[in-house]
Amino acid sequence: MVVTFPNMGNVAIAAKTLCQGLALPYVMPETNNSKTLAVGSYYAPEEICLPFKLILGNFILAARQGADTMWITGSCGPCRFGEYCELAMRTLKKLGYRTDFVVADLSSDVGVKEFIRRIGTVAAASPVHPVEKLRALRLAYQVVELCDRLDAKAYERAGYEVHKGECRRLLHEYKTKVRKTESPEETMEVLQDYGRRLDAVPADKSKNPLNVSIIGEIFTIIDPFSNLYIEEKLMGYGVSSKRMLSPSWWVKNMIGKPFRLGSRDVYKASDPYLKYSVGGHGKECVGEAALAKAQGMDGAIQVFPLGCMPEVVAKSILPVIQEDKGIPIMTLIVDEVTGEAGYITRIEAFLDLLKGRRNQNQKASHPRAALNMRQFPSKGV
Amino acid sequence: MEKTYYLGVDVGSVSTNLVMMDEEKNICEKLYLKTSGRPVDTLKEGLKCLAGHFGGAEIRGAGATGSGRQLAGMLIGADVIKNEISAHAVAASSVEPDVRTILEIGGQDSKIIFLRDGIVYDFAMNTVCAAGTGSFLDRQAARLDIPIEAFGGYALKSKNPVRIAGRCAVFAESDMIHKQQTGHCNEDIIAGLCEALARNYLNNLAKGKEICGPILFQGGVAANVGIVSAFKKILNQSVIIPRYYDVMGAYGAAILAKEELEASGDETRFCGFDSVYDDFTVQSMECKDCANMCEVIHISVNETPKACWGDRCGKWSAGAGKAQSGSRTG
Repeated sequence: MVVTFPNMGNVAIAAKTLCQGLALPYVMPETNNSKTLAVGSYYAPEEICLPFKLILGNFILAARQGADTMWITGSCGPCRFGEYCELAMRTLKKLGYRTDFVVADLSSDVGVKEFIRRIGTVAAASPVHPVEKLRALRLAYQVVELCDRLDAKAYERAGYEVHKGECRRLLHEYKTKVRKTESPEETMEVLQDYGRRLDAVPADKSKNPLNVSIIGEIFTIIDPFSNLYIEEKLMGYGVSSKRMLSPSWWVKNMIGKPFRLGSRDVYKASDPYLKYSVGGHGKECVGEAALAKAQGMDGAIQVFPLGCMPEVVAKSILPVIQEDKGIPIMTLIVDEVTGEAGYITRIEAFLDLLKGRRNQNQKASHPRAALNMRQFPSKGV
Repeated sequence: MEKTYYLGVDVGSVSTNLVMMDEEKNICEKLYLKTSGRPVDTLKEGLKCLAGHFGGAEIRGAGATGSGRQLAGMLIGADVIKNEISAHAVAASSVEPDVRTILEIGGQDSKIIFLRDGIVYDFAMNTVCAAGTGSFLDRQAARLDIPIEAFGGYALKSKNPVRIAGRCAVFAESDMIHKQQTGHCNEDIIAGLCEALARNYLNNLAKGKEICGPILFQGGVAANVGIVSAFKKILNQSVIIPRYYDVMGAYGAAILAKEELEASGDETRFCGFDSVYDDFTVQSMECKDCANMCEVIHISVNETPKACWGDRCGKWSAGAGKAQSGSRTG
């Protein structure tokens, strides 16, 4: 059994940590790049959304290197994501690879028995002691949590850094290193080290950078390649960005939801605009847009792959929120296009717009404008 | 006292525009050139033209915009390198201070810009499809063997426009061919196409947004009287075509350069018209140092590395920055 898993933001790093902890051989996918996309889109159905093309690319490239067990998350919601595992299975079979799929569906969707059977297939293959297995699972979660926090810290601090590009450099460095570590312990060490380094980045607290919230379809916002590195671009412009959706958010929200915990404020904020779930994270997108202004954001950028149904629904609601809350929202639709000129034009124009609106608000000398300024992020991971 | 000028450059996919503006923001000279896929050569050619008139004059600042703005900015030594949306908005506001909506249709993309109280309030750009842009009209004009300048005039002669699917350029073309084969005359087909494009533009970009006047229509396509009349018909409002509709981006870049330099008090970085004789080379390569495989662009002037972009980690661009500042001091 040689395991592989797709690049879904920091999930790949967690999955790698888990494999190491369980002493299972694995193939780590390369970060998504033009090769992944070329292979994926060659074998994928033409009309499927971008995430599938990338996931399929990861799987095929890994299968060529000998992987035979594919881990993938499933879904039984109304969006096409639920189709991914079946489609990937068929495509790989047609290509002549003998592979097993372990699909992580929710126990509420597939039944507790099936859920336990699937976990069992992974656990049974691992030679380590059951206590070690649990420890591996815990470590994997800690790793993804830490990664997400590091990312968030880097994206936020970029707006305050004294030496331009430092946060981006550290982010790039840690991402490269963490993919090459040999054990969960080493991974943790790298992450903690970079957490300290990011904290030590000299920051100018008097800066009042633009704050932008990144919302939209989860895969395309957590995988930098598919959104043409939007967060890194914002870092380059000295803009702080915030993104709620992340793998660790997903886990926390899944566990919290039945107990009415999780992101309740977001769901509540979305209710006046979108009462029902439309699949994917459409409701989250609407709720986040509605909350952005109160969170001190200057604007929000929605990103989704061409043809993403839940986000198309959300997109049609955003102009109303934009008027209601007085917050500019821009939508970027990503597909296989890697030419960035038009994309950069939109981002730059949007930032100009945000600056213009902010100046105008300040000119109106609203005494409360000062209250809208966000606090400098505190230290500590 | 000698007159001083500002240079604005807009390097777009289809046209490269240059504007010379005086201190009172009047346009003294404008050039509208076809980019023909060679932005650097076209820009050099434009500068050579301008050098004839303005070679001896003092140029106080330069601005670049358009999809080729980075390249153009590097070549001329621009003080401001701005996206087209902001440039168009600035230009429109200085022509018509109360402007509320700007329709802009260029060669490869189309935009709608909404302003409130003189600032950009919202904007939208066409998404993944280039239907309804200048290149598509160019292509249809060529197919029907009608000069593009006369294309819009045909639409006005139509008495009974046919319906053309405007959602996608490929479908629009087959629809046009089918209608033509069933015997509809060119005038009706062209009028139908103009309406389809205006409809598609408004459905696509202005969805859910209110279009208030004054409305300015700028960009090369504003020359097409057929499209203008289609917009007027659908919007049921008057549409203003500014005098320099085709070079508004370049005009905006010149204004932005003027504003920027007045605010900062800096001297211009404009290299002068002689820079067209510099040997300007652009090389691209795929960086193999990590899995990101960035496509990196190297720019050198007279064999001295000047700039570099396209890398995610900053390794190349940081190095080039050093080389650049080194050559400047040296």
